[in-house]
Amino acid sequence: MRLSNDHIDYIIKDLNYRGIIAEEIQNELIDHVCSAVEKEMACGKRFIDAYHAALKSFGHTTGLRQTQQETIQLENQKVKIMLRNYFTIALRNLSKNRFYTAINVTGLAVGIASCLIIVLFVMSELGYDKHHTNAERIYRINGEIKFGGNHYMLAVAPAPLAEALVQEFPEVENAVRFRSRGSYLVKASETSDNIKEDHVVWTDSSFFKIFTVPVLQGNSQSALKEPNSIAISQKIANKFFPSSTALGQTLILDNRWPMKVTAVFADMPKTGHFNFDVLISMSGLEEAKGTNFLSNNFQTYILLKDGTNARALEAKLPSIVIKYIGPQAAQMLGGEFTMEKFVEAGNKLEYSLMPLTDIHLYSDRPIGELAPNGDIAYVYLFSAVALLILVIACINFMNLSTARSANRAKEVGVRKVMGSLRSHLIRQFLTESILLSALSFVLAVALAYLIVPIFNELSQKSLVLPFSTPLFYLVLLVGSLIVGILAGLYPSFFLSAFKPVQVLKGQVALGMRSGFIRSSLVVFQFVISVFLIVGTIAVYRQLDFIQHKKIGFKKDQVLIVHDAYALGDKTRVFKDEVKKNSFILSGTVTGYLPVNGWRNDNTFWPEGGQPTQDNMVGMQTWSVDLDYIKTFGMKMMTGRFFSAEFPSDSQAVILNESAVRQYNFEQNPIGKKISTFTGNNPDGSPDMKSMRSWEVIGVVEDFHFESLKQGIAPLAFFLDGNNGSVAFRFQSKNTQDVISTIEKSWKALAPGQPFQYSFLDEDFANLYTTEQRLGKTFALFAGLAIMIACLGLFALTAFTAEQRTKEIGIRKVLGASVSGIVVLLSKEFGKLIIIAFILATPVAWWAISKWLEDYQYKVEIGWGIFALAGLIVLVIAFATMSFQSIKAAISNPVKSLRSE
Amino acid sequence: MHPPELLKGTLQTIILKILKDHGKMYGYELTQRVKELSADRILLTEGALYPALHKLEAEGLLTTETVMIGKRVRKYYSLTPEGSGLARERVAEFIDFIKTMTTVLKIEAA
Repeated sequence: MRLSNDHIDYIIKDLNYRGIIAEEIQNELIDHVCSAVEKEMACGKRFIDAYHAALKSFGHTTGLRQTQQETIQLENQKVKIMLRNYFTIALRNLSKNRFYTAINVTGLAVGIASCLIIVLFVMSELGYDKHHTNAERIYRINGEIKFGGNHYMLAVAPAPLAEALVQEFPEVENAVRFRSRGSYLVKASETSDNIKEDHVVWTDSSFFKIFTVPVLQGNSQSALKEPNSIAISQKIANKFFPSSTALGQTLILDNRWPMKVTAVFADMPKTGHFNFDVLISMSGLEEAKGTNFLSNNFQTYILLKDGTNARALEAKLPSIVIKYIGPQAAQMLGGEFTMEKFVEAGNKLEYSLMPLTDIHLYSDRPIGELAPNGDIAYVYLFSAVALLILVIACINFMNLSTARSANRAKEVGVRKVMGSLRSHLIRQFLTESILLSALSFVLAVALAYLIVPIFNELSQKSLVLPFSTPLFYLVLLVGSLIVGILAGLYPSFFLSAFKPVQVLKGQVALGMRSGFIRSSLVVFQFVISVFLIVGTIAVYRQLDFIQHKKIGFKKDQVLIVHDAYALGDKTRVFKDEVKKNSFILSGTVTGYLPVNGWRNDNTFWPEGGQPTQDNMVGMQTWSVDLDYIKTFGMKMMTGRFFSAEFPSDSQAVILNESAVRQYNFEQNPIGKKISTFTGNNPDGSPDMKSMRSWEVIGVVEDFHFESLKQGIAPLAFFLDGNNGSVAFRFQSKNTQDVISTIEKSWKALAPGQPFQYSFLDEDFANLYTTEQRLGKTFALFAGLAIMIACLGLFALTAFTAEQRTKEIGIRKVLGASVSGIVVLLSKEFGKLIIIAFILATPVAWWAISKWLEDYQYKVEIGWGIFALAGLIVLVIAFATMSFQSIKAAISNPVKSLRSE
Repeated sequence: MHPPELLKGTLQTIILKILKDHGKMYGYELTQRVKELSADRILLTEGALYPALHKLEAEGLLTTETVMIGKRVRKYYSLTPEGSGLARERVAEFIDFIKTMTTVLKIEAA
């Protein structure tokens, strides 16, 4: 028996009414029910009875629905299909809102790229010296000496201390010392040209036992044992012996000392706090064999036995000071000396252990560092900056998503009506944000690839993106998930919480005005931006202040020819030769330069008295010639400078103001005398009979010869020969000409020797490379931060303008002016930016004051910096907003109102 | 009537085997066929049948074809080659299972 069409229509309608609507199953169930009804009717039942019997076998409405739901769920549980669905929808949503997607992706990508670079930087900083197998057991001896008005923080120790430590403490397995004596001129044979090598150091043969530096040629056990033996890096070996093996060959150092190559080692990695190319055997260095505990010149590293407690060992170091240093100090300072009295008088002589792996980031000793180190503060600072930038970028994402919630509220409502659960919606929104973040990560890697060289230039690093490590990709993947989830979490919970009935009735007034959180987030973004801008301005102000401070000498138009000792005894001839040129105003021969030159100190006391703890003054003692202050432009305060007219000037000394104060010579310094010992006994202690005195003939005005982080230390000039370099003051616009003329004279007098020169002002600027780098890096990141923040602001304004199109149209029809509307649209965010500025000011002020504490001479932080930063932020922000708001304001109201 | 718990694991086997023996069938026909074969002792409920059919289809073991019959649309199911392979396997498994159960429950051959 076949059912009539009417019956079938009835069944279709009734099943529909009972909620069977899913496409996949609807037809099938209808057919099933129809077939069942037909069968029942064949047995003679009425249609309606047959239908109810058929329904009963399903379990009525509930059973029907359950069947439908189970069938649908089965299909939806296919994870792949489900994910593909989320993915497709997400992709459609993103491409539908290209403008916002582009802004989100750009912002995030820039944020992630900066983050990526900073992470690379931080990892490289944290990884210093970790390549040594024994890194955890190696310690450097640090010293602290406070005496005679001076306070020294040393990275160096006395020569015999290493040996003493190994002897005294069984837990010290081995020790190695470095003695750095600057650069050397190196040549492979008598006939070849000299090449200047900077990374040269004297060291003990235990070097290879303590540090992990693979020896490629030669025997690491026997290398560096003999005097006059050296070990060189692969790089140097290739440079000097390109066609033959370097092992067993000879290199000539400084034209005088032939050295035999006993080992070739692999180039030291850049991530070490030292980086040497040439190691010279310490066994050839007389100074290293001395027993003088009172001069600190040797970087000393000890290797502890496994399981040694370094702190416990450190606690025993004072006993070494008493046992070895005490007697020598007593001898020099007179009989009554004891360590107790010494310490009681507020003095200090202490040694401590610094873990090898801490040196790069935590050690900033003014004396004895093998190379400029990093600073943990900058590691923290940059990490914080990276995080902040990322947060700014994520905030953009969150703000745009929630701001646009008005548009998506309907979508949410409809989805919920269709049966979406909240968890489905959350997953949908999270998929969108993860997709977006993944997109940004891809873009970010590309961006980072482009920016890394610039950053390397800035930070003097050699960072590379680790494309060949699988871990890198894993980190990127995990990173994109985390960022996606973080950025999407708030919007997805916010959006999915809408009640469908309210949304569809239009009762949820969402959009711009509902955003307390959004406003706070915008404020937060701009607080960070203002902070970074203020920081940048402050660093630049300080730099400017330092460089234009009265430094006590004239740094412009001075050319310095380095390594003048290569001229041998012809330094004076060279100077006179160059001085014949009319553009050379004066020249001076000395290695003691106000910037980056030689340094030497010694301790003096006023003549007549015994040297005691109270009257001794540690001073820089510089050997200069007659033209020194004329060339460098220092000013005499009283008295006179050395002169050829006074042959007795070899017995004379010139002090700076700081030294005069230390000696208490303020009343009348001229004619006063100071004394010191000039010789040592064979055991290294000062020879009492070698006492000599000098008469003060003049006082030079204080000038800066260290970084302006430090104050001006006492200093004395002696008339003495030193051929470290030759400096010329010139007067010429054409510096290239000056260089080539001087070089010509050099070539004539020192054939085969490298001509090395620099300008005093550049050397001076180089003193502040750290600050310059900080400034530039800060500027870079501040720029990025404000760019990302403004990107968000741009999108938000665009969105407000879009939301308020009709309002703007009506206002215009009623006579509002363009400027009035621009103000109306900008007001809201303008307020937020001003709040941000007010909040950021105290934080920034605190941070800058903290940073400036390090400087002896610092710029005043006036309100000017903040005004400038505020102005910059406001101008940029308003420029960003006005683009959108002007666009909205000048649009024709007819267009926006016509549709209703 | 056999209790439904006993049938739970055999639903797929039943569907596959019947489709293997009869070629294409639609849902209602399947229920009737089972009823017939078991002499009313096994009742395939619609609530279990349709989800199972859709699952097998999604797994690629069944193909479907729809035929318009007047105002109704009828959906016929038939085995794919994979499905037919699985049918054989399932039946073999089940025979094996019965043997095991016979020993486990110490059922005397009646």
